[in-house]
Amino acid sequence: MKRSFIIGSLIFLILIIPPIRIYMESMMIIHMLVQLPLLIVVGWCIGEYIENKYPKLFELINGNGVSGIIIFVAITMFWMLPRTLDEALTFPIYEIFKFISLPLAGFLLKDSWRKIKAFGRIFIYLNYLSMFGLMGWLYLDSPIQICNNYLLEQQKTLGWGFIFITALMVLYVLQSVFTDQSEEE
Amino acid sequence: MSTAIGSKNVKSDNKLVTASLILGGVVIAAMMIFGILMLFAQGGVINVSDAAFYQFLTIHGTGMIGAAALAAAGVMWYFLGKYVELSKKVFIWFLALVLVGVVLVVIGVFSFEYASAWTFLYPLPAISANAWGVTGALLYLFGMLILGTGFLLLYIDTGRAIIKNYGSLGKGLGWDVLSGKKRVEDAPPKAVVASTMVTIVNVTALIAGAAVLIMNIINVINPSFTFDPMLAKNLTYAFGHIFANAIIYMAVIVVYELLPKYAKRPWAVTKLFLVAWTMSTVFTLLIYTHHMLMDFSMPKWMLIMGQALSYANGIPVLVVTAYGALMVVHKSGIKWDMASGLAFMSMLGWTIGAIPAIVDATIVVNHVMHNTKWVPGHFHMYMGLGAVVMLFSFMYYLAKIDSNVQETKLDKFAFWCYTIAMMAISIQFLVSGALSTPRRWAIHYPGWMTPAVFGAIAGVFLVIATTIFIIHFLRYVKNRGTLGSDLHEEKAA
Repeated sequence: MKRSFIIGSLIFLILIIPPIRIYMESMMIIHMLVQLPLLIVVGWCIGEYIENKYPKLFELINGNGVSGIIIFVAITMFWMLPRTLDEALTFPIYEIFKFISLPLAGFLLKDSWRKIKAFGRIFIYLNYLSMFGLMGWLYLDSPIQICNNYLLEQQKTLGWGFIFITALMVLYVLQSVFTDQSEEE
Repeated sequence: MSTAIGSKNVKSDNKLVTASLILGGVVIAAMMIFGILMLFAQGGVINVSDAAFYQFLTIHGTGMIGAAALAAAGVMWYFLGKYVELSKKVFIWFLALVLVGVVLVVIGVFSFEYASAWTFLYPLPAISANAWGVTGALLYLFGMLILGTGFLLLYIDTGRAIIKNYGSLGKGLGWDVLSGKKRVEDAPPKAVVASTMVTIVNVTALIAGAAVLIMNIINVINPSFTFDPMLAKNLTYAFGHIFANAIIYMAVIVVYELLPKYAKRPWAVTKLFLVAWTMSTVFTLLIYTHHMLMDFSMPKWMLIMGQALSYANGIPVLVVTAYGALMVVHKSGIKWDMASGLAFMSMLGWTIGAIPAIVDATIVVNHVMHNTKWVPGHFHMYMGLGAVVMLFSFMYYLAKIDSNVQETKLDKFAFWCYTIAMMAISIQFLVSGALSTPRRWAIHYPGWMTPAVFGAIAGVFLVIATTIFIIHFLRYVKNRGTLGSDLHEEKAA
C-alpha cells in the first residue's frame, strides 16, 4: 500500500517539475493524452493507500460507487473540452485546479471501479469509447483552430491519438466478448 | 446449457414486459394516426401546414421505430430470461429512460416545432431555415440520446448475462458448435442466438448513434464546429438502419418459441441455422451502406458492398426462418388462433417486405427509386406486416398463457382487417413509388394523390384493428395471473 502511495507521489512530483510540466504542455497530444491520464494514475495510486487508511469514510461518501464515478466522469469530461485545456495554459488557477481535480478523479475511480460491478464498468467503458471516438472526430475534422495555444496541426495529431485509443478500446471489447470468459472463473 | 432456467417470478417479469408492450402498442397506434393525417394531407383531403406535416413525419418515424424497438426488446427480454439471468432493475431503468427520452422528443417536436425527420441528418438539426430553433433541436437530440442510453443499458445486461451463461458472445452465436467443439444438440437455443446477434449489432449501432448525436448537439450549440457530413451520414445510418433492422430480429424470437409449441413439433437448432445468424450479424452491420448509394463521394467498394450484402442479407435468417416455420407448421395439425396466426402471418410480411428493399439496394434502381415512396412501401410492409405483427402475436400469446381472457370474433375480424389494411397501405406506397412520387413531400401533384387517399382510408381500418389488438391485451392485463393455457411451461412447473 505504502509503495503505491510513494509511486503516486513520485509521479506527481515529477509532473509538477516546471521544465517537465512546460514540455508536456507544449504539445497538445502529450498534454491531453499523457499528462492528464498520468495525473489520474497519481490519484489511483494514492487512493489505494488512503482508501485503506479510512475505509469507513469511503463507505459513507461513496458506498455503491455511483457518486464517485459520476464525479469522475464529470471531471474527465471537463478536461476533455478544448477550452479548458487552453485555459489551463492561460490562467494559473485552472492549472492548479487541473493538478488537484485529476488526481481526485483517479482517486474516485479507484474507489468506485470495484463497487460499480461489471454492469457499471461496461457502461462507463462504452461511454468513454464513444466519447473518445467523438473527440477524435472533433479534433480531426474541425476546420478552425479550437485552442489559442495550439496550432491546427497539433489538433489533428491529438485527433489521431484519440482515434488510436478508440481503436484499441474496440479491440479490447472484441477480445473480451469473443474469448471464453467462463474458463477464467 | 440450453435448458430453461426456472423462472423466479413469472408474474413480476410479465408485469415489466407488459409495460413495454402497452407503451409500445399504444404509441404505435397513435403514430398510425399521424400517418393517416399525412396521407390525407398528401391526398389533398385535409389541409395540414407544411411545418405541421414535417413535425408529423418526424414524430411518426421516431415514434414507430422507438415504440416497435421498445416492445420488441420486451419480447426478447421475456424469452431470453428463460435461459439466462437478466436484471429486472436494468429493465426498469431501460423503461424509465425510454419514457424520459420519448417525453423530450415529443416536447421538442410539438412545442418547439422540431422537424428534421427521424434521421436527423447532419447538418439539418442546426440549419432549419428558422423552421425550428436551438431548443427544439436540443430537446429532440438529447431525447434520442437518453432513449439510446436506455437501450444501451439493456443490451449491456443481455450481453453480460449471455457471456456469464455461455462464456462469450461467440458461443452465444454457437461458434463452438460450428467449430466442432460442441455437439449441435448442445447448441444455444434460438432465443439466445437471436439475442446475441441483436446485442452485438445494437451495441455497435448505439455507440455510433451516441457519437453522431453528440456531434449534432455540439453543432447545434456552436455552429462554428463543423464536421464531415459524409462521415456523419455514415454514422447516422450505422445507427438508424441497424437499430431499425434489429427490431425484427428481436421480435422473431416469438415465432421461434411459439410455433413449435403450437405445432407440437421440435424446431431444433441446426448448424445451418447458426451459420445463418452469424452471417446476418455481419451483414446487418455492413449493409447500411445501401443508404449511401446515391452519394458519389462514397468509396466505390462500399457501395458495391452495400448492394452485394443487401442481396445476401435477405437469404440467411429469412430463408432459414421462413422455411423452418413452414416445415414446423406443414401437416402438423396446428391449432390456429390469434397468436399462431399472427406469428405465421409475420413470416409472410417479412418475406415479401424484404423484396422491395432488395430491389432498391440495386445501385441502378436505387438512383431512380430511393427518394420515391417505393422505400416507405418496403419498410411499411416489412415492419407493419412483419415485425409489428410479431409483437401483436406475442401480446395474444401472453394473454393466452397467463389469463383466461378468450379470443372473440372481433379479434379474428381485426386479424384480417389488419392484414388487408397493412397490405393496402404498403401497396399504395409501392405504386406511388412506381409512379415516381417523391417521399417526404408535404404537397403532391394531383397525379400522385389517389394512392395517398387510398392509403389513408386503409390506415383508418388499420387503426381500428390495432385498437382491437390493444384492447384484448389490456383485458389480459386486467385479468393477469388467472388460469391460462398449459403452453406456459414455467407456470406449470
